[in-house]
Amino acid sequence: MSEEEYRTVLATLKEEAIYPYTEDEMQVVKSVESCINCGLCIQHCPVVAAVGLDRFSGPRSIAVELSRSPPEYWTTADVVYLCTGCGTCREVCPKDVDIPEIVNLIRARIFKHRPDLVPKQLHAADAIIIEHGLAFVPWEDPEEKVESRDMRLERLGLRYIPDQVVKGADVLFYPGCQAEERAQEVKESAKIILDYFKVKFTLLEEMNCCGLPATLLGDDKTALELALKLKKKVKDLGVKMLVTTCAGCTSNLARIAERDAWGIPVYHMLEYLVEEIGIAKLSSTFKRNTEEKPLKVTLHDPCHLIKHTSRITMDYAGQILSLIPDVEVTQSFAHDSCCGGGGLVSYHAADVARAVMKENLAAIEETGASRVVTPCPLCTAQLEDNLFRQGSSVEVDDMTVFIAQRLP
Amino acid sequence: MAKYDVVVIGGGSTGTAVARDCAMRGLKTLLLERDDIASATTGTCAGMISSGLKYMDEPDIVDMCSDEVVYFKRIARHIIEKNPILTPLLEMSDISSGGNFAEEYSKRAETRDVPPVLFLTPEDSLKIEPMLNPDLIASLYFEEYFIDPFALCMLQALDAKQHGADIKTYCEVTDILTKKGSITGVQYFNRITDKMESVKTKAIINAAGPWAHKIAALAGAKLELRLNKGAHVILDRRVVNVGVITKAIEGRMIYLFPHENTVLLGTTALDTWEDPDTLVASQDEIEYLLKSMEWVIPSIRDARIIRTMEGVRPLVPTWKIPEGDVTRGYEVIDHEPEGVSGLISFTGGKLVVCRHMAKAATDLVCKNLGVEAECKTHIEPLPGNSDDVDILALAKEYGVSQHTVERMRARRGSETATILELTRNHPEWKTTICTCEPVIEAELRYAIRETFPQTLNDLRRRVRLGTGPCQGTFCTFKAASILAEELELSGADFQLEIVDFLAERWKGKRQSIRGEQIAQEELAQGIYACVGNLDQALEELDYDLKPWEEVL
Ligand SMILES: Cc1cc2nc3c(=O)[nH]c(=O)nc-3n(C[C@H](O)[C@H](O)[C@H](O)COP(=O)(O)OP(=O)(O)OC[C@H]3O[C@@H](n4cnc5c(N)ncnc54)[C@H](O)[C@@H]3O)c2cc1C
Ligand code: SF4
Ligand code: SF4
Repeated sequence: MSEEEYRTVLATLKEEAIYPYTEDEMQVVKSVESCINCGLCIQHCPVVAAVGLDRFSGPRSIAVELSRSPPEYWTTADVVYLCTGCGTCREVCPKDVDIPEIVNLIRARIFKHRPDLVPKQLHAADAIIIEHGLAFVPWEDPEEKVESRDMRLERLGLRYIPDQVVKGADVLFYPGCQAEERAQEVKESAKIILDYFKVKFTLLEEMNCCGLPATLLGDDKTALELALKLKKKVKDLGVKMLVTTCAGCTSNLARIAERDAWGIPVYHMLEYLVEEIGIAKLSSTFKRNTEEKPLKVTLHDPCHLIKHTSRITMDYAGQILSLIPDVEVTQSFAHDSCCGGGGLVSYHAADVARAVMKENLAAIEETGASRVVTPCPLCTAQLEDNLFRQGSSVEVDDMTVFIAQRLP
Repeated sequence: MAKYDVVVIGGGSTGTAVARDCAMRGLKTLLLERDDIASATTGTCAGMISSGLKYMDEPDIVDMCSDEVVYFKRIARHIIEKNPILTPLLEMSDISSGGNFAEEYSKRAETRDVPPVLFLTPEDSLKIEPMLNPDLIASLYFEEYFIDPFALCMLQALDAKQHGADIKTYCEVTDILTKKGSITGVQYFNRITDKMESVKTKAIINAAGPWAHKIAALAGAKLELRLNKGAHVILDRRVVNVGVITKAIEGRMIYLFPHENTVLLGTTALDTWEDPDTLVASQDEIEYLLKSMEWVIPSIRDARIIRTMEGVRPLVPTWKIPEGDVTRGYEVIDHEPEGVSGLISFTGGKLVVCRHMAKAATDLVCKNLGVEAECKTHIEPLPGNSDDVDILALAKEYGVSQHTVERMRARRGSETATILELTRNHPEWKTTICTCEPVIEAELRYAIRETFPQTLNDLRRRVRLGTGPCQGTFCTFKAASILAEELELSGADFQLEIVDFLAERWKGKRQSIRGEQIAQEELAQGIYACVGNLDQALEELDYDLKPWEEVL
């Protein structure tokens, strides 16, 4: 059979909008196929709660309606880009229907078949990822980046630990794009923590995105390229494990590390602290009183940790906070709810992301806490931005920073 | 008493095509259907308007089918889709059988706007369809067109109506009136008015499919059919990327075709003497299909089966040969020589040639009646014929999701805008009633008002209500209340509608129920029996259990 003949076949497939499922994808399709239309998920989806079914027809419709026929996937673009991928639906579903994954699969088809229907802001984001291998345009002037970092360190009262790249280190610390380019204090805090516990750690010679945003916007090709590039870097460094401070990176790295057989475990910093450093050591660490009177703190749970990785991470967060003197943790009744920043929704439908966030803000105010702590720099930014807009006095800290500040 | 030039009996693909042709040629036409349009054989077929795949030994039929495909593409493009198809070859011996087919198919490929048959390597085949058995040695690739059989019949009926025909559903022909060997009229029981009625006519076209012999008998004419049943197993969503055709356990060809948002696994072919009305797929047929497909799609049993359906083919009566050797052509029989003048019957045929069959019969009627009129059914488009409906613009204009609009377009073509326009005065009609398809209230109301359904089952044929994985779990209640409002049904009739619809769904679910569908059934029972209390209400309703509803 000639090349040309096969091209005829591909042309028909393209014309009929058939983009064959791969075997991996069939697992996801299989999970969606088990939906019994019970509607439970609709009651729990934060986007449905925030904007209503007319705007976002919700996880059930994704399962029983939108994902049934690939040639029609292009018509779902007005819905599937509004899913934040929070994973709440998957958690409450009695049939384990994997909505976030089918959403990614559909988005990937739309990206290939009808790029014109992908929100243009996502194309812009994709262009940046392709050009820089990062989710954000890197600092043009490295000196300015350093200045920004130093300003942040000073404001937070943190010391500077020089970057280091060490082959054969125990731990690779991976900051993720947000902490690398924007929330540099998170990256610095992680280094402080690792240094404090005398961990042999290394950074990457050159940071590159884990590919999650590319996956979310449907650019599978770029996502795969980035993942493979990262794998090579990790392999070359010969580390024993990877630690990150970003919730999204944690879940995505865990996924690709398994898929691409990296052969090393991936930890969120909180997991690393509790599982590798140990509670015993931690409990003897925080001695110094940092505040005059107890600081009332509430926790925000990043979806990528509790719903995509493991619920235990947030138990760890609670445990660690309880070890810090003069911190009083109050439960938010909106714990477990999405910040609206997931799934790249805030890139192109800021109103939806904000509406989702609104529920959180009200709940946060309700707790009477003066500070929200969350183990993810993206959630932090999303919360900070919205609390500020609302004129709230509640402050937000990334949990890694919060811990670093309270080390002796 | 009303008088017609011609009365057509049967509202399947054949009958509706005939009524349309007759009406277009100016004959005063009446179509009588005892149930709903496309409620029998036609509603159970795969909708493949094939190149003549299974009958390559009958070149004239292959030519006929090829031409019909071209016509359908011209007159009904909005209800047609194209499926790429792979025939995986697992052994060398499979290759030889492909030869004749490939040659015959390729000869006519260009007219139908498809490539000739191609041979694909195992690697390329697996890229297109990773579900294939990786041990394949090659595959044949070709392309076929499919039509929505329900929509086709409905559009033919509506078009006939627009050309002046009367279409009467729920009217069962009970007698054919003759005088001195000539047809004079038809008597029928009108189930809507609950009355016997009759009309005068000199010509009857008997398009009663597998009941055609019974209709002929009413006029004292003899008609023989070879009835042959076939089953389909319907799988939820598109679990294969393309169609797959393979040899079944005894060497017949069976297939797996993506159809709308499902996949059809079919079909069996067994000579039958059972009552076509109550026939259901048997365990043997289901197992035969799964076992046969498993060789080429090893994971076939993992797929979710939503239901089965069973239909009866009215084949040309040739005996003592296997079913597969019976012609796929048709016969038009004028019963004049046996002393019944004015009655014309069909044997054989297929969905794909329904227009051709109609033309042959109508030509004959015209000749008998001395009418000169040309057939135009292959030129004039059916209602809604258009594929340039701007989904994105309509979705935006009416604030309805794009997918909802696209599904509506697949059913309604250019009528989509008319339906959406209804939501201007009734924004609440944007509510999704059937979640799986999806169907919004506006389309249901429109279908009720414009396409004469009497029951929820009729609505199912018009809008695919309740045909998704949940099989009516979610929509039955809501749709029934809309129907009740539009048709002014009593409370009891409203409840009966629900029970009837669920019973009909059960007919197809019962035989194959397993896996997820059991969980689904639990939920449906929970909603309608426990919450809706319908099991209690049943005692007060005038409801007879259907033959397929087992009583414990
Ligand atoms: C499993 C299966 C798969 C098939 N797949 C295909 C395919 O892919 N492609 C293809 O081209 N063909 C296919 N066929 C063949 C095709 O479906 C039939 O040949 C065709 O649909 C027959 O249509 P019809 O109108 O003659 O019969 P029907 O659809 O059975 O219509 C006859 C109508 O007459 C009515 N009627 C009966 N008695 C009376 C009465 N006394 N008064 C009033 N009305 C009456 C019935 O209610 C019925 O609606 C398939 C058939 C089967 C069984
Ligand atoms: S992943 Fe979250 S936002 Fe998306 S459908 Fe599920 S619950 Fe809703
Ligand atoms: S909760 Fe799960 S089974 Fe129920 S409707 Fe949602 S996806 Fe389907």
